Amino acid sequence: MEGREFTVVGKKLPRIDALAKVTGEGRFISDIQLPGMLYGKVLRSPLAHAKILDLDISNAEKLPGVKAVVTAKDSPRKTFCIYPNLANNLILQDTKVRYVGDQVAAVAAIDENIAEEALDLIKVEYQELPAVFDPEEAIKSSAPRIHEEENNVAAYIKRQFGNIEDGFARSDVIVEGRFKSPSVAHCCMEPRGCVASFDLSGKLTIWSTTQTPHSLRQELAEVLDIPINRVRVMSAYVGGAFGSRMFMDPIDAIASLLSRKSGKPVRIVNTREEEFISSRTRYPMIIELKTGAKKNGKCVVRQAKVITDNGAYNNLGSSVTGNACSKLCQLYSVPNIKFDGFVVYTNNVYGGACRGYGNPQITFAMETQMDEIAVKLGMDPAEIRLINANRPNTITVSGCEITSCGLTECIEETIDRSGWKMKKSKKRKNCGIGMAVVMHGGSGGKFYWGDNCHISSAIVKMNNDGTVDVLTGSKEIGQGSDTVLAQIAAEELGVLLEDINILSGDTDATPPCGGAWGSRQTFTAGIAVKSAAADVRRQLLSIATDMLEARIDDLEAKNGMISIKDYPEKAVPISTVASVSYTHLGTPIIGKSINNDPWSSTPDPVTGFGNVSSAYSFGVQVAEVEVDTDTGIVRPVKITCAYDLGRAINPLLAKGQVVGGTLSMGLGYALTENLVRKKGKVQNISFLDYKILTALDICDIECVFVETNDGRGPFGAKGIGEPAMIPTAAAISNAIYDAIGVRVKELPITPERILKALKEKS
Amino acid sequence: MKHQIRLNVNGAYYDLLVDPRKTLLEVIRNDIGLIGTKMGCNCGECGACTVIMDGRAVNACLILAVQANDKKILTIEGLASGGKLDPLQEAFIDYGALQCGYCTPGMIMSAKALLYKKSSPDRGEIQESIAGNLCRCTGYISVIEAIEAVIKAEKRP
Ligand code: FES
Ligand code: FES
Repeated sequence: MEGREFTVVGKKLPRIDALAKVTGEGRFISDIQLPGMLYGKVLRSPLAHAKILDLDISNAEKLPGVKAVVTAKDSPRKTFCIYPNLANNLILQDTKVRYVGDQVAAVAAIDENIAEEALDLIKVEYQELPAVFDPEEAIKSSAPRIHEEENNVAAYIKRQFGNIEDGFARSDVIVEGRFKSPSVAHCCMEPRGCVASFDLSGKLTIWSTTQTPHSLRQELAEVLDIPINRVRVMSAYVGGAFGSRMFMDPIDAIASLLSRKSGKPVRIVNTREEEFISSRTRYPMIIELKTGAKKNGKCVVRQAKVITDNGAYNNLGSSVTGNACSKLCQLYSVPNIKFDGFVVYTNNVYGGACRGYGNPQITFAMETQMDEIAVKLGMDPAEIRLINANRPNTITVSGCEITSCGLTECIEETIDRSGWKMKKSKKRKNCGIGMAVVMHGGSGGKFYWGDNCHISSAIVKMNNDGTVDVLTGSKEIGQGSDTVLAQIAAEELGVLLEDINILSGDTDATPPCGGAWGSRQTFTAGIAVKSAAADVRRQLLSIATDMLEARIDDLEAKNGMISIKDYPEKAVPISTVASVSYTHLGTPIIGKSINNDPWSSTPDPVTGFGNVSSAYSFGVQVAEVEVDTDTGIVRPVKITCAYDLGRAINPLLAKGQVVGGTLSMGLGYALTENLVRKKGKVQNISFLDYKILTALDICDIECVFVETNDGRGPFGAKGIGEPAMIPTAAAISNAIYDAIGVRVKELPITPERILKALKEKS
Repeated sequence: MKHQIRLNVNGAYYDLLVDPRKTLLEVIRNDIGLIGTKMGCNCGECGACTVIMDGRAVNACLILAVQANDKKILTIEGLASGGKLDPLQEAFIDYGALQCGYCTPGMIMSAKALLYKKSSPDRGEIQESIAGNLCRCTGYISVIEAIEAVIKAEKRP
């Protein structure tokens, strides 16, 4: 059926929210204004590690205009984390602070200036404790303890598949190296924020820049100790998320406490400085990697030791590290694997999900070594990737079932389109070309936690004029999921895109969904929406059987009409059928579907064996650079991308993901971005000092899709959001090596590091 | 002490009594209620708050409301007229030049100011004009293409 002609899917249609966004009408979280609303501010710790001896809020409370001050005493003091067994963070600290920016109290006042002023009146007496910021120091037994635990190792992940001794013994070439990746900020253009409003009945309504509304609802109910149905997370536009807004941020709960105490709605929006200091970051990793390959280029063994800086509290550090391990096993389906992952507490801000979820870190290491092996074997780096490329319908040693896979085609596309062969043979001085590959879950997955985060469900209602309401718990964060899901519904129902009204993310009105993470919504929420729409279509067709005097199997719905197949003149408008059903029969048509992603399973907690995702996406990037060996400055010239995303439901949006992921995030990760800390205090707290790329820093890009039509995905589609940025850093690094013969194994690849590497070489 | 000011925003006059510390951005958003202009940093580094003041693109977060007294201000809400979108807005939609959309109003206003100054800027000038407008989503290419499309269409007789 997916071989048929589509009318809505596969078309470059403009986003359905575009009009609201280009006119300024679209309402973001920071635009929500409620009557009587107060402004909240959070008092954050200036110290990286300290005991709280005394906390006095009395002067702040007395300041005119202050309506509420809250501390841990006002909360049920419940620890939180999406993995309940790892929970060790509080929304407000009362005994200890563990990083610069940790929250200890908060104020709500009639304006922001008064709230600020009130913060200055709160007296906190700290007793400073020794702190540790380097995970390799923190792991030592002599390091100061950050939690009441035996040591600072928050988690140890050990995985072994095949036999690495045997693998290395049989290898003709072995490479080893140490790779370091930095802490980076997501830099969403809209700062994190929320507006929380408790009513007199004790019901909380909250607008939040979350990307996981249904999870946030559960988390807020938990930390506030109220039933889930007393929390409504509302829907509004979100100015970027990229993983940082996965799950609850303390400010969501703090604003709620302030609202409960003051009886007024309370808004908290981070300042840009707070975004840099106290928002989630990409987990920095130190990766020691050893890879062995046969003479023919076949990669047979990999061993990795990873140290992840978990920061001060548990969030997703172990999950992200686990995902890095997954990729170690999956990419090129290497048969012998050993992984030791140490997730270590430090007195740095705690990390979170960030586009790629551990994969950019490990891909940088893996794909650099692929190049090193190619050099040692005298092979073309593209050739060695073709030899090792994952193939469709294979199973990795870790139990991942790869169904659709267009990696080989992607490599071939980029070779052709970038002029790879010519550029490799005719080298220009200080110019280079490099390739890197990505494999990533294309459907989200059940990789580390329980299954309930990975549900998607949908309700589709047919109105009596033939228009349609789609209710989905998914979250639009800019990636375009509302548009893609509306296209899927329209295609399945045979109606026009403009007939679809979609409501996403409002937890009181939409059925549960894991939300926007893991590049999962096109696939997982897409299947839910498609099945709910199919349910509606079946009901429509069944009513139309009488009207058209035909059997249901002979009917089809297309372009707003239900007709007898091959007899398009025998047709009735969908609107007529809808009206008959609603008005005459009194049976409005409602379809529903729940998708718990039956093909994936949580890996075995001990061995890590299992099929993490239902589908895997693949991609290749070829980067061309020019290096100034006097200044160390790398100028990216062009990036050629090819991606297997199953099918592009909307090629305009899919291309937007790849181009934006590569240029806005991938290039920055490769070349410029790094949160610099001194004694745990972030030094670059503005866009002047923390360099994300501007319109002047980007390069040419070409992007092509390989459509493998995944057998499970909705209309064959798989996810593309994260894969877009993952291989860029490795591709750039490999291009730099091709240009000047040095490898920088620490990101970002700054001019200083290039110069240092050049000096070491000569 | 509050100051009496008069602003012309999108062709309408507003007589306002404002705190001298208030920025133009705060006044546009909170006092006048035009929330299309966004705040991303409040210190002149992201461009989300870009509006056009007397024909030039400015960061509204860097200008005190009192400095804007008697000035002519154009915000994103003032671009479409008579129910018709500005060609830039049309092109942003068609070229997929927005994702989350938070940078979009500022981006469009910077482009508009460029087109006031120059009828056919080249790619470098376009990049220059939006260099102060950070976007974490699009990678800028689609934005540049959208602006180029408008320039091309307007050059046609
Ligand atoms: S808010 Fe004005 S430049 Fe960022
Ligand atoms: S579209 Fe999201 S920041 Fe530009």
